[in-house]
Amino acid sequence: MPDAIAWVDAIDPEQAVGVCGAKMGRLAELRQAGVAMPKGFTVTVDAYRWHCEQAGLDDAIDSVLGALSPGAGSGEIESAARAAQAELTGREMTPGLASLIVDAYEELSSRCFDINVPTAVRSSAIGEDSGTASFAGIFDTYLGVSGPDRVLDAVRQCWASLFSARAISYRLRAGTRHRDMPMAVGVIELIHARASGVAFSAHPVTGKTDRIVIETSWGWGEAVVQGLVTPDHIEVGKADGRVLQHQVAAKKVVSAFDYAAGRVIETDMPARLVDRRVLDDEQIAAVVDAVLTVERHYGYPVDVEWVIDRHRRSGDPVCVVQARPVTVTAPATAPMPTEWNPAAMAAKYVFRS
Amino acid sequence: MATVIPVDEFISDEWYPGFKPGYTHAPWYVDPVQTFRKEDEENFWFLDFHWPRGLTPMGLIWNEDGYNWASQLAAEQMPLPPGRGITCRLGGTHTYGSALPVNDPREIGQRAERLGRSLPPFLQNFDEIWGHMREEVNESWDYFRGVDLSALSTQHVRENLIQARQYHKRTFEIHFQVMYPLLANYVGFYSMCTELGLDPGQIGKFLQGYDTKIMETDRELWRLTAAARTAGLEPAFAAHDAGGMRAALAAQGGSASTWLTQFDDFLQVYGWRTEGSCDIALPSWNEDPTPALGTIKTFLQKGTEHDFEAARNAAVEEREAAVDAARSKLTLDEQRLFDSGLASCRAANFPWWQDDHNYYIDLRISLPMRWACQEIARRVDAGHPDDTLYLFWEEIMDVSAGRRPYDAGLRSLVEQRKQYFDYWLERRPTLPKVVGTVPESVNDPILIEIFGLNSHFLRAVEAVGSEGQVKTLTGVPASKGIGRGIARVLHNADELHRLSPGEVLVCESTSPNWTPAFAKIAACVCDGGGTLSHAAIVGREYGVPTVTAVGLATMLISDGDEVEVDGTSGHVTILVHASGQGG
Repeated sequence: MPDAIAWVDAIDPEQAVGVCGAKMGRLAELRQAGVAMPKGFTVTVDAYRWHCEQAGLDDAIDSVLGALSPGAGSGEIESAARAAQAELTGREMTPGLASLIVDAYEELSSRCFDINVPTAVRSSAIGEDSGTASFAGIFDTYLGVSGPDRVLDAVRQCWASLFSARAISYRLRAGTRHRDMPMAVGVIELIHARASGVAFSAHPVTGKTDRIVIETSWGWGEAVVQGLVTPDHIEVGKADGRVLQHQVAAKKVVSAFDYAAGRVIETDMPARLVDRRVLDDEQIAAVVDAVLTVERHYGYPVDVEWVIDRHRRSGDPVCVVQARPVTVTAPATAPMPTEWNPAAMAAKYVFRS
Repeated sequence: MATVIPVDEFISDEWYPGFKPGYTHAPWYVDPVQTFRKEDEENFWFLDFHWPRGLTPMGLIWNEDGYNWASQLAAEQMPLPPGRGITCRLGGTHTYGSALPVNDPREIGQRAERLGRSLPPFLQNFDEIWGHMREEVNESWDYFRGVDLSALSTQHVRENLIQARQYHKRTFEIHFQVMYPLLANYVGFYSMCTELGLDPGQIGKFLQGYDTKIMETDRELWRLTAAARTAGLEPAFAAHDAGGMRAALAAQGGSASTWLTQFDDFLQVYGWRTEGSCDIALPSWNEDPTPALGTIKTFLQKGTEHDFEAARNAAVEEREAAVDAARSKLTLDEQRLFDSGLASCRAANFPWWQDDHNYYIDLRISLPMRWACQEIARRVDAGHPDDTLYLFWEEIMDVSAGRRPYDAGLRSLVEQRKQYFDYWLERRPTLPKVVGTVPESVNDPILIEIFGLNSHFLRAVEAVGSEGQVKTLTGVPASKGIGRGIARVLHNADELHRLSPGEVLVCESTSPNWTPAFAKIAACVCDGGGTLSHAAIVGREYGVPTVTAVGLATMLISDGDEVEVDGTSGHVTILVHASGQGG
């Protein structure tokens, strides 16, 4: 059996993306570059490949998907997806692999001083979130997964999400073969989020790189990432860290932990939190620090998902749970000058020449 | 399919009696003043708000010297890359303007390069340049004020008239030489601020709160109002019409006479202004003080005094707060750009100049020509001193040179022309606001900012006729706040006395002579204009909610309607129609 488990804090950063997939590989790189993040491990790309081989999945899936032409209709794709996912979820995991994952999960629980520690189980395919094509939101993530059986189940669900209808059609459009994007799965301690959000080191719409844009709401970040809530919007000048804008939104939906169901769900925001400003200036500065560290590490604009632990104290870093290059930059506009040139401005704005 | 509003109603061989249409005898720079021809329908023409009464034959001098000489010359000299200035066509006595485009991309490119060289030094040295120009204008003004026309031979009066017209023409060259670069710089700055994400409603405030000659005049009028109150003249002002006020006060004697002396001193300094822009047919306050006395009468009715110091301090405070708030939203690099742009616009402040220049140019520059024309009327024993204003330039040249007698024929022509003027004066409220081919958009910043020909206006004029009874109109939010009151739909400044305190002024557009009204109205609505038009600037200075560029407010709002004006959002709502139906 290949190396099936790679710990975020132990994997060689040079090999991390190849072993752990894009998302988890980058987390490992950043962890070792000094960025604060939750504890966790990855069920590696090799583990997935080995499982497919052992369970005879490769041929089964090839025969299901081989019939699909690039121009396949949505009905065709959906039935192919159902068939492929049935193959994946229907076959038992090799006991040897399952026990390795369970062992790692128990080790993680103990590192977190917990039993059955709630986790975030995240898909991490090779080639997703690459600089040229974003599979953002295509593959599954499960928040609040607790206990060995549920973790194993969530891992298999993540593998299966490689063959969801939208993943298949995305690959058809991008011309990517499923064998070229094997799926690793991250199992990460679930941070008890007071607040979370995303942050961009370039303006996602205008492409301006002179500012950091933060969007945030209470609780876990799913509602923000999936666009279920209108988040607070903050812009911070990169040169001096000054808050340029802070729009407090009416936040109607929150991602909260449902203890009975054992997972994070979306529910109504408590009335007292709807209009309350999420981040204070110290917290904004901490988010900015984290984003700038990530940007410096990669040397290009990034977007970052981050969480503020409910136990975080002033001065502590915020936790980064995902980071990726900004794949779609706004059309390159000429940078604004820094000195007033009346003729150039008149030409640009008044006479539009 | 573009909307075309026909020009047919203006095409006629009948024009001012005794004069052939095709008014092309005066020098022009690119395109001459003319009456409408059918082919003009291919272009887009807007009814010019400057002359709501129409122009007399002599008044048409302005079209020749202003638009068709000075604006076209200035647009070539600076130059404006895509435009050659403004031309006009005459609908009866009324003026329709249009922009003259440059279409050749190569030429536009070269003009842009020339502009790139000429604009920066002009703006940097604006204070000095405008200072010299003002000096030149004032020097000639003093010359004409110093001439005793009654002591000159008719031949010399004629020469004086020719000099006065040359002065008029030269002054409008100055006018457009300043206006174009200042406006180009301001619109550039405004648009840049918008691109930086700043609230457009705030940008106008960055340059407000600087004192102008027009505001100085308003302040003096309030000082005279306070003096009248102290002198116990309130009952006298209440008892008489503005027209008979002067005689009544003189007859009263005592403190009233003392006050009249103060009033005359005021007129010697501030009374050389007309009740409208650039129109030889309008008297100055010195010739007819009714407007000034009427203004003081309404100020007295208002009871409370307008605190100019407080209003100006508030405007300055608001300006500084708006600048601070805007800067706080910008990155360091953006702040540098914003600061240098703001500095440039402050050094060459268009909104300030827009008000200030009216004192030196628009409101008084026709007066020397008027005096000479009136003197010639006396020499030829015309029935009325204004009769010569109903002659065309060649006619008055001939008459004053003795080449043509001012005989029964000319006298009867003058009477017919007065009737023609009155006929078109009556038609004014129902004239189309625009004619010809309505474009998708207008790109000339002057037309957008001064005449309010933004896309909203264009859509509004296209939509007219397709609507039933309108309840809500939309325009440019020009001065914030909400005001509610009875609408007074005024078609020219002669009607300003109809405004009572707390009413809502609805008009085509305002000129500096409308300024005193802002001290008493609850809100202002204009058909035309933008964020920079007179009503917008004065509305902000006086804190009067103002919406401009509504398009057809004077047609859709009736005198006596109860309306609400939201100068923050740009909405005007008719709450109760004067006819009694609920809005």
